Amino acid sequence: MAHEDDAQQAVPTAPRMRTDGDGVTRRRPLRGQHVEETVEVDVPVRTAYNQWTQFKTFPRFSTVVRDVEQLRPTVTAWTLGYGPLRHRFAIEIVEQDPDSYLAWRGLEQKPSHQGEVEFMPTESGGTAITVRMLLQPQGAAKIVARSSGAARLTARSVRGELMKFKQFIEGLGQEGGAWRGTIRNGRVQHDHPEPPRSRVAQWPVG
Amino acid sequence: MHNPPDEEPENTLSVSPPKKWAAGVPAVVHALGYSLEQTSPRKTGVDLLTMNQVGGIDCPGCAWADPAPGRRHRNEYCENGAKHINDEATTRRITADFFREHSVSDLAVRSDMWLNQQGRLTEPMIKRPGSEHYEPVSWNDALGVLAQELTALDSPDEAVFYTSGRASNEAAFVLQLFARVFGTNNLPDCSNMCHESSGFALSETLGTGKGTVSLDDLHHADLIFLVGQNPGSNHPRQLTALEEAKRNGARIVAVNPLPEAGLRRFKNPQKPSGIVGRGTQIADRFLHIKPGGDLALFQALNRLLLEAEDARPGTVLDHDFIDAHTTGFEEFAQHARTVDWDDVRTATGLTREEIEKVRDEVLKSERVIVCWAMGITQHKHGVPTVREFVNFLMLRGNLGRAGTGACPVRGHSNVQGDRTMGIWEQMPDTFLDALQKEFGFDPPRPHGLDSVNSIKAMREGRVKVFLALAGNFVRAAPDSEATEEAMRSCRLTAHISTKLNRSHTVCGDTALILPTLGRTERDVQADGEQFVTVENSMSEVHTSQGRLEPASPLLLSEVAILCRLARRTLDGEADIPWETFEGDYGTIRDRISRVVPGFHDFNARVTRPGGFQLPNPVNEGVFKNKVGKALFTCNEHVVPRAPEGHLLLQTLRSHDQWNTVPYTNNDRYRGIHGSRHVVLVNPADLTELGLAQGDHVDLVSVWADGSERRAENFEVVPYPAAKGSAAAYYPETNVLVPLDSVADISNQPASKGIVVRLEPVLDRTQPTSA
Repeated sequence: MAHEDDAQQAVPTAPRMRTDGDGVTRRRPLRGQHVEETVEVDVPVRTAYNQWTQFKTFPRFSTVVRDVEQLRPTVTAWTLGYGPLRHRFAIEIVEQDPDSYLAWRGLEQKPSHQGEVEFMPTESGGTAITVRMLLQPQGAAKIVARSSGAARLTARSVRGELMKFKQFIEGLGQEGGAWRGTIRNGRVQHDHPEPPRSRVAQWPVG
Repeated sequence: MHNPPDEEPENTLSVSPPKKWAAGVPAVVHALGYSLEQTSPRKTGVDLLTMNQVGGIDCPGCAWADPAPGRRHRNEYCENGAKHINDEATTRRITADFFREHSVSDLAVRSDMWLNQQGRLTEPMIKRPGSEHYEPVSWNDALGVLAQELTALDSPDEAVFYTSGRASNEAAFVLQLFARVFGTNNLPDCSNMCHESSGFALSETLGTGKGTVSLDDLHHADLIFLVGQNPGSNHPRQLTALEEAKRNGARIVAVNPLPEAGLRRFKNPQKPSGIVGRGTQIADRFLHIKPGGDLALFQALNRLLLEAEDARPGTVLDHDFIDAHTTGFEEFAQHARTVDWDDVRTATGLTREEIEKVRDEVLKSERVIVCWAMGITQHKHGVPTVREFVNFLMLRGNLGRAGTGACPVRGHSNVQGDRTMGIWEQMPDTFLDALQKEFGFDPPRPHGLDSVNSIKAMREGRVKVFLALAGNFVRAAPDSEATEEAMRSCRLTAHISTKLNRSHTVCGDTALILPTLGRTERDVQADGEQFVTVENSMSEVHTSQGRLEPASPLLLSEVAILCRLARRTLDGEADIPWETFEGDYGTIRDRISRVVPGFHDFNARVTRPGGFQLPNPVNEGVFKNKVGKALFTCNEHVVPRAPEGHLLLQTLRSHDQWNTVPYTNNDRYRGIHGSRHVVLVNPADLTELGLAQGDHVDLVSVWADGSERRAENFEVVPYPAAKGSAAAYYPETNVLVPLDSVADISNQPASKGIVVRLEPVLDRTQPTSA
């Protein structure tokens, strides 16, 4: 006997994948309608990238990020604040290549967003940081989000945050930490047999 | 507040239809009703408002994780937790007069409920050889008697040190240290009896003994399996997480021989929709499976996934994950394709079409979690079943990513932490080496006795002293007659306890009751007020600190009792500062930080709001098993069968029960009121057996060696149990579970899938007590 309710079911969006020349399948970069902003920062790629991986420090420079919890290398929970309002959401890092690229997606299905950040060395020895974000709001917010005004507002906000990051890392001069791991399809890849965070009790727990 | 009952409650059964939803307003009413029966409104308020809060009391009721600090409700507890905490905070007291009035043999015929209802133990008591009564004894004399018995043993292995999951990390660490300095690894625990099968299977396949899932993972899964577990009664706060997952779009598949209320719908009493609305539907799909059919179900699902991949190559399986992180796939795939659909039908009672619909759910889902509990682990094939869950998760890469993973749902609040602290009879050399380095003694290396083997050793006279750190071993263990015979064979039994239970009444020649502080109570030592730490089911380590004054000024904490016992017994051996440990638990945590991997900076990190989470290697991309990769396994096909005229019995708890302790004779979600001596059977089976509602039967279990065990005078209740199965309450039916009925590999007592027949009795209408 089975009981079932096959009513409306949220079918998750299939991940958009690409297979690169090295044979590894990676998530495909965002294309189409999204917000894209680039700033150049006057520190080397490694410095900029390392600082970016220190998500818990984002509230130090950001005007909207109030708190970041690093739940595990691939999962962070972000609390954004506007005045007295707070919104917490979790994101998953789906791809991460040191000194190069990081892609994420929101874990909430409603509303959903995804984004990526690329780090490119500049001729002057600095770093061009490009952020692309795609918001997929639900319900009434979807209508609002379609307006060009909303897109401009989002772009301005992303640019503003990038400029804050630029001031922050240029002011510090060097990174305050680093996470140099690689993430593929939401899963941490290790070439080191025993990374520090794996050193925990392994015996069976009944 | 009511006085403790003088007499046993009447057993008069009434039956109503099973509930179709869990919690809601009735949960609040029942929780407050029981709490106010036990204690004052002020104490109830203090307990409940600090329970599961940062800096407050960790609910001893279960090991479910708390939301992150700042995201907790003002009332962060469930009905069962509220009852349990106030059952401990009761104002009822047991004094020396009580024991003068009641002999041990009188107490031994009392029910579990009656014993528990008498209140808190307040002073150390001793039953001397040949005596029929417990009598007061000083702490010095009590610990002196115990120390003398221990030191008089021919070998340290003649003692057993049992731990229940209520014990804190600090107490557990001190106990295992004491036992190992004393010279034995005889450290059985309640883990041996609840999730041992999970631990063995996960360690072998994934290299971690623990679940890989956090609350956030559950919230963000696309598909959640609830297999062999009853969240409505046994871990109700899981329902809040499932509600959040559903709000976020998750689908849920429940797999159970009984259509439990909590699997169907949840009315969250902290939300308007849970008070006046319909609440949240939990299971989108319910598989009414036969007991023990879960292995066959997941083997069939795995075969279907492989065939789906055959039909659409490259679209079903996560080849990146399988190729890079696993081993054994080819052998597994070959074996999985041999699954026989007739066997699956017989084992599960499910049609192929039902299972194919589940496959379709899986194919639509990018993030899948499997949750399970003792409906899985307590089967003979519990280990292979959990291994098959792992196979299933690995096929589509549902490990190590957000919203995915394996989630063994543990019962007792610190059952996981106690094991992390070294309470295990088979601790690896790496741990023992660390102990040796830290404390400068040579720990014993041969494996010790687990729970089942401890019982056997006691019966055979190989163990003479039994010390329990909390718990109710006699009632938690299988084969009640054998277990009681084992306890009575001991020279000395001693229990560190908060309340009276049957383990105090079925005892050795000498018996000690060592009363201790509860979780709700302030713990003040030489260095000032202390807190303890625990680890929940999701590997979060945090503090617990009571606020109430102790039930008696004579109570000692668990840590204090153990440290004093160690000083008396070891007489300076190994130069361990037991007195310092007793005075300042922070000094114990300093030692833990140097011995137990993952606990560095323990004191600093655990006092942060919410404590800290131990990483799980699987989520770090590492598999630390013998092969260094996630392991696909080939598990033999199992078709549980009962001979004609017999049923497969599962023992289970009622809703109004915590572990071995029933609070009342009611089980309102299942519609059972006024009696626990019932057996729930599918109406079609009753017809075939020539039985009807209200008939009285003896439950007779049949074991492979031809032996039979009998639980007398149970009333038959027609119930939507899976065809061919029966269900009856634990611990009353533990008597039916042979000591040799254990899970393969893990040696966990197999209390599910017991073959029984129902023998009508015509001349008995009242159940026997206890």
